[in-house]
Amino acid sequence: MTPNSAPSAPSRRSFLASTAVAAAAVAGGTPLLAACGGGQDGSKDGTTSGKDAQKILPAFVASSVVTPDLPSKNGSAAGFTRAIDLGALKTSVPKKLGAGSGLKIMSPFWGSPPAGDNAYYTAMNEAIGVKATWQNQDGNTYDEKLGAILASSDIPDVVVVPGWNLNGKIPSAINAKFADLGPYLSGDKVKDYPNLAAVPTDAWQRSIFGGRLRAIPMPASYVTNIAPFYRKDVFAKKGYTLPKSPDEFLAWAKEATDAKAKVWACDDLKWTAFNIYGVLNGSDKALWWDLRDGKLVNRIETDEYLEALEWTRKLYAAGVVHPDAKAVKGDASNRFTAGQSLVFNGDLSYWYGSTAEQRTQKTDFEMGAFDIFGPDGGDPTLWATQPAGIFTFVSKTASARQIKDFLALADFCAAPYGTKEYMLTVYGVEGTDYTVKNGLPTKTTKGTNEVNGAYDYTGDPAAYLAHPDLPEIARLQVEWQQRMGAFTKKSSFYGLTITEPNRWTNLANDFEQLEDDIVRGRKKIADMQQAVADWKQKGGDDLRAWYKKLLDDNGSAAK
Amino acid sequence: MSHSTVPRSRAGARAGSRTPDGSPAEAGGGRRAATSTGRGTGKLPFRLRFRRDRALVLMTLPAVALLLVFVYVPVLGNVVAFQDYDPYLSDNGFVAMFESPWVGLENFQRVFADSAFWHAVQNTFVLFLLQLVLYFPVPVALALLINSVVRPRVRAVAQAVMYLPHFFSWVLVVTVFQQIFGGAGIIAQTLRRHGHQGIDLMTDPGIFKFLVTAEGVWKDAGWGIIVFLAALSSVSPDLYEAAAMDGAGRWRRMWHITLPALRPVIALLLVLRVGDALTVGFEQLLLQRDSVGPGASEVLDTYVWWNGIRNQDFGYAAAAGLVKGVVGLGLVLTANKVAHLMGEQGVYEK
Repeated sequence: MTPNSAPSAPSRRSFLASTAVAAAAVAGGTPLLAACGGGQDGSKDGTTSGKDAQKILPAFVASSVVTPDLPSKNGSAAGFTRAIDLGALKTSVPKKLGAGSGLKIMSPFWGSPPAGDNAYYTAMNEAIGVKATWQNQDGNTYDEKLGAILASSDIPDVVVVPGWNLNGKIPSAINAKFADLGPYLSGDKVKDYPNLAAVPTDAWQRSIFGGRLRAIPMPASYVTNIAPFYRKDVFAKKGYTLPKSPDEFLAWAKEATDAKAKVWACDDLKWTAFNIYGVLNGSDKALWWDLRDGKLVNRIETDEYLEALEWTRKLYAAGVVHPDAKAVKGDASNRFTAGQSLVFNGDLSYWYGSTAEQRTQKTDFEMGAFDIFGPDGGDPTLWATQPAGIFTFVSKTASARQIKDFLALADFCAAPYGTKEYMLTVYGVEGTDYTVKNGLPTKTTKGTNEVNGAYDYTGDPAAYLAHPDLPEIARLQVEWQQRMGAFTKKSSFYGLTITEPNRWTNLANDFEQLEDDIVRGRKKIADMQQAVADWKQKGGDDLRAWYKKLLDDNGSAAK
Repeated sequence: MSHSTVPRSRAGARAGSRTPDGSPAEAGGGRRAATSTGRGTGKLPFRLRFRRDRALVLMTLPAVALLLVFVYVPVLGNVVAFQDYDPYLSDNGFVAMFESPWVGLENFQRVFADSAFWHAVQNTFVLFLLQLVLYFPVPVALALLINSVVRPRVRAVAQAVMYLPHFFSWVLVVTVFQQIFGGAGIIAQTLRRHGHQGIDLMTDPGIFKFLVTAEGVWKDAGWGIIVFLAALSSVSPDLYEAAAMDGAGRWRRMWHITLPALRPVIALLLVLRVGDALTVGFEQLLLQRDSVGPGASEVLDTYVWWNGIRNQDFGYAAAAGLVKGVVGLGLVLTANKVAHLMGEQGVYEK
């Protein structure tokens, strides 16, 4: 991973997974309305909000260590555009909190994990006062390992679980296997860990699993993390203007595609199509639902969903999508940087990742993200993602000392930009993992290999974006989020973590596959309508009633 | 012509040293008895046979232990097919088997009622038949070809080239095919440069099963010739010389000497292949699932994986896997019976 992009989600994360997770940030806890509901002892499914949640949520104490240059607005991340003054680093963890416990940590990892005894891990352990040993697992197939690990009797002390892996029986496994952190964090107790106390309440609310505060959240911006990127340099050279509607896009794409020269207008744009057509957010099952005219509607039942698929299908049918995207092979961002596709969509973090990578190769490469337009070319309707998307749990077999030491680790990792703790977490050891050139920290080869994302999820501050080497990119990212944030609405179950009853958790598993079949022309829209009818009959309507009751009992967090 | 009339001296020497039906007391005969559950020797008391073969029995122990631990013990896990199995009910998945509720045949009913399951069965059988017709004969043909090459260096190079793809992972094989036959691959781009339409063989569900078979042939056909080459090397050169003396041409010698020599091996491999009919490739198909969709690529193994590992519907997946196992057993018994009827030994004798 590239410097500074660390807390903003892995840039190399594959988008195979059912979705998207958010890249960054959010400020301020939206007060959660509503009365009590699920979450009492013994109830495994449902959710917890309102008064019940208030009892267990940690207090919020804003961090005043560093002020961002671009404060959060419309749900965006905060932006830091100035370089860190390395001579005047602040301290956010004045004394070592760890008592030296051993912690086995299992975490998803994108790339090749470093050897376990490297300088960076050793320095982190030393600074925090723990003996952490890492089990870095391939992030792309993490869900397959997770299910088996949780079923074994040998669960690591600390387990990171991305929100997009919360499928099947995993949520019920989480409630059964992981410790309640409430006794250590609820209310004022969190003040022992000042950096964790500065984590927004929204994000903590998402950490309530089965009525207990079980996780350290990775806070994220609720603005969609899927940005449509375009080759700014190629657009300028060819004199293209940015399309402003789906029809204009299709027309431009046909013009820009030159298969003979190995150039296609775009990669797979299904996710952007969902955003253009205002389809309810797909990143978390609870977000699939929204209350419309007194009735809960699921994203798969909406006209917008079919329209988005139809538009994407047209792109494929017109031959403007790169063939490798049709075959779901290779890496979309590589095709983009190689000039084989001119538009692709991906996590907002690619903006920095790809630009930084290309800068080192001294190419003319320049990329931008265009603003998402509506179906008729006007303003879009976007739906919020969850304000925390990756969670870190502690096994319920861990001792109290281990839990406290883990919290020390999380507190350390949650240190804000501009602190000593941040520098160590994100850049590693000075002189070994990074050197300072022109006042900017630059990772060495060793640093690039070692400081590669292991500590990205085990504790994070409120979402922020900071790229001191490319400050302009951080500004553009935050501004894009703020513009898109202005069009973003929150659906009925925004902000809540909901455990569905086991019998329905697999009900909608095949829809993503069907979407991909339809856009590639292997299935018809009518097949989707049939699948939706089957879904209703097999339990979709029962699930609707279940969610409706949850809404009636708990109220909505959003709107 | 002159090449093939005089079989290679090395192979001939090896073949000549064999004692086709040596006495059981000799070491060579002992080996033979063990491999063919020997005629006549079955009448000896077990104790005697054990004492005679104890070294061999000892040598099989590690393999037997592996089989026990990784094949037979896990078979017990199939009980979850009759349960609404939830591995998270207890502190470990094994104990959870005792705590999960029994549901009788409900999982099987669901499996049989699922059209996706039958679709997977259909894909599996079509792919099996295609592989049987298009893939199975290739190693035999290659072995005959290699066997007719006399110059050792050419032969070694040819063999190495044929073996090599076996050592590539499926990820690599699929990538290589994508780079050549994909929509932006070498062939498509070359066609486009010359003013033709590009082709994309990787995303066409209609030809997917042929594509999978082609990948299989490229990867493993060369490796498959080893067994046949071994069988060919045991053919006595005298037979070829005698046939040549009697005026048999190249084709007649192949038909009357070479192929009959290969027949038991072919029959054995065929029976094994039929028993494995429901296993037509897992990783290879999973890797290309997204390229053509599950409609063309879902086979029983990927179906079980999807439901068991991805959806964590373990009881259901175990039921589907059990059905596969039972059908596979039926197939191998049938194929063996057919082999017996044809006078071949098959996998085992009665």
